[in-house]
Amino acid sequence: MIMTTEELKNLKADKVVDARGTACPGPLLAVKQSIADISSGGIMEILSTDEGTKRDIPRWAKKKGYDYLGDYEESGYFTIYLKK
Amino acid sequence: MYLIRLTLNNFGCIRVACNFVLLIKNNANLKQEIKKMENKKLTLALFSGCVDKLTAAGVILGGAAAEDMDVEIFVLLQAAFAFKKENAMINDRVAEITDKKDEFLASLKRLGTPHWTEAFKKAKELTNVKIHICGFAGKVWHGEKLEDFIDLADDICGIGEYMDSAENSDINLFI
Repeated sequence: MIMTTEELKNLKADKVVDARGTACPGPLLAVKQSIADISSGGIMEILSTDEGTKRDIPRWAKKKGYDYLGDYEESGYFTIYLKK
Repeated sequence: MYLIRLTLNNFGCIRVACNFVLLIKNNANLKQEIKKMENKKLTLALFSGCVDKLTAAGVILGGAAAEDMDVEIFVLLQAAFAFKKENAMINDRVAEITDKKDEFLASLKRLGTPHWTEAFKKAKELTNVKIHICGFAGKVWHGEKLEDFIDLADDICGIGEYMDSAENSDINLFI
């Protein structure tokens, strides 16, 4: 289920992972480390300046059985959402 | 009477044979199920002692850690030099595009790339990573004991272990 930017902006995240300024695989590892902090059905918001992250997160989420909700680029960084 | 007994014996044989076939089939299914439940495995033959290749290895290890893969690293020849306690942090050799070494190292710093030892350490924290120093490689660089190498190293081993690990891996890399 890929959401529109507007829908994504209306989501209330249970956890924000700010990985801006770290290079690959930093953001992915930050997400992996933080996923335990939210319960099933919880929403995670990931901030990243690394272009590869917005491709890595959907792949990783699929493998782990989580839902990738979508992403948008604004103010020089990507905001990516997934649902546990 | 003799004929009847023979027939019964034959049935018995057939039943034993059927059970045997079922046992083998179930065993194969069981093995497949166990394999599905196990983590995927990466074996890395790490030959290079240069920071560009070690950094690349660190990135791949990060990917493996994100996916909860089991990782076995075999530190071969030149990599054993980089793993020596006195070399790990000061070694700044690069293997490729050597004329741009300064630019490369400055870029790593600018991008906040962790030192390869940090990337390896992080992967060890996040997933099951074992680092084996090749005994021969250690001796080449005057490292006889595990204590001669950085704390990331788990043990000193022979090539047989690499063969076993590579044989049972989903991914096998040489860097």
